[in-house]
Amino acid sequence: MAAPEVHHLFHNPIADHSFSADRKTLAVARDTTVELYSKVGSAFKLKDELKGHDKTVTGVDIAPNSGRIVTCSQDRNALVWEPSPQGYKPTLVLLRINRAATFVRWSPSEQKFAVGSGDRVIAVCYFEEENDWWVSKHLKKPIRSTITTVAWHPNSVLLAAGSTDAHARVFSSFIKGVDARPEPGPWGERLPFNTVCGEYLNNSAGWVHAVAFSPSGDSLAFAAHDSSITVIYPSGPDLPPKAVISINTQLLPFISLIWNGENEIIAAGHDCEAFRFKGGESGWQLSGTLENKTRPGLGGGEREESALNMFKQMDLKGKVKDDTQLKTVHQNTITTIRPYESSGTSVKKFSSTGVDGRVVIWNT
Amino acid sequence: MSIIQQHTAASLSDAWRTIDIDRLIEDSSINFDTKTLHPPLQETTDAEVRAINGQVRQLLRGGDSEGALRGCLELPVYSGTEATKEAHLHTVIEVLQSIKASEMTPMLQRIYATPGGSECLDVLMKYLYKGMAATSSGGDSSAPRTPTRMTPQQTGFSQVGSRPGTTGESTGAAMSVLLSWHEKVVDVAGLGCIGRTMTDWRKV
Repeated sequence: MAAPEVHHLFHNPIADHSFSADRKTLAVARDTTVELYSKVGSAFKLKDELKGHDKTVTGVDIAPNSGRIVTCSQDRNALVWEPSPQGYKPTLVLLRINRAATFVRWSPSEQKFAVGSGDRVIAVCYFEEENDWWVSKHLKKPIRSTITTVAWHPNSVLLAAGSTDAHARVFSSFIKGVDARPEPGPWGERLPFNTVCGEYLNNSAGWVHAVAFSPSGDSLAFAAHDSSITVIYPSGPDLPPKAVISINTQLLPFISLIWNGENEIIAAGHDCEAFRFKGGESGWQLSGTLENKTRPGLGGGEREESALNMFKQMDLKGKVKDDTQLKTVHQNTITTIRPYESSGTSVKKFSSTGVDGRVVIWNT
Repeated sequence: MSIIQQHTAASLSDAWRTIDIDRLIEDSSINFDTKTLHPPLQETTDAEVRAINGQVRQLLRGGDSEGALRGCLELPVYSGTEATKEAHLHTVIEVLQSIKASEMTPMLQRIYATPGGSECLDVLMKYLYKGMAATSSGGDSSAPRTPTRMTPQQTGFSQVGSRPGTTGESTGAAMSVLLSWHEKVVDVAGLGCIGRTMTDWRKV
């Protein structure tokens, strides 16, 4: 396995990141701005800053085809940035929420995006041609707490959301005139707006950090604060799911997860490294880390220390070994992982960002 | 009309900043019973706890301490009266105290490897924390759990030493048993186990 590509952008947390479709532009949410980096040679150079929010930016997503960027922030606003020859032009979106916006993602159709918020609603936003304005419709019931994350089904109608009330839910966000009528599937047949297609809770019920539909859209995975991931296989509308598989791990909680095909999930979080889960409808298990622990260069542990150096360290720091570095590539919590390069339904490479200000591109 | 006239004492002070607006919103989390988010738990009665206690004791006498430990962890008391929960805690602690230090890790590893073993160790962790809370707040379980003495401490460090009315030695012994179990459980079930103990709504 080839070594991961590491870019240390700055010493600030990265709340969210997104690559453009050609992978030449990288948008990262840093404090109250979104920074756009472009790839020059093998490094990322700061190209542009999107300034428009006045509180911490919590989500950023680049639409792969249109190139539009949507951002959301704790200032309760979302902005759509339209690319133009003069740079990006922001348009304010009326979210009608009175708590922070926490997460934003474009639908695969790029006609809509969903914003999670601390106001116990998900704002599903779409462009109204006649008013020349982005408007939002609220998914409200039965959310009881902050929405931490959302994920779209490939059909752009179903939306999964994770919440601090410990539930992962699947909603219909069908908007007449915008969406084509979806094919009936295991999540439901008729899907008017705000249909709750599923509501899931695992046994120990930690608040949910991440949700993701499998590539086919026929199963759902979520990661929760109880250090578990749970995979749900629905069997049809109003029926109990075929299987709900929960894997409790010995690790710290996962913050983000992606599917790699139908039988593999990659999750990362507070342990600062990514882990692979393998399985299917009959069961899932943790199959190991994606980190190569014996990587040369970073492994300060195995380096031979000279006697002089050893006594120097003891004198300066009161200890022999300098153990301020983690053995992982990321030196702090990983907050977002996203597919970087895919072929068909399998992910060849994925990117991760974290609190340490690093962007890492991994081979799966 | 001057705009100044519209100022009142209330708008000039910043008392409005401290208004708990969540109370005023009808469907906010304060005005909502969070228990309804979870499926209800089955109530455990006093008689059931005593029956488990009897079986566990029998297993202990027979030398099957692993079976005894499993037995009391597989049927945790999530819903019941405070006395019932206390009684089951005593059963668990009794079992824990009867197991030798050298047997702890292999036993935990065997339990963890079986199906449902991870769940068992999560339950054990919950009882360890409950046990530590109980031994540090009152010593005797029949005493009220809330601290009775509200006078401020002279120094922050005298909390354990100068507590009146506790039998220092037995509390210390019980605590050391719980702490050594805690260490062993974390070794086997990882930090995730502590996280689950904190997030889980099924309290023992």
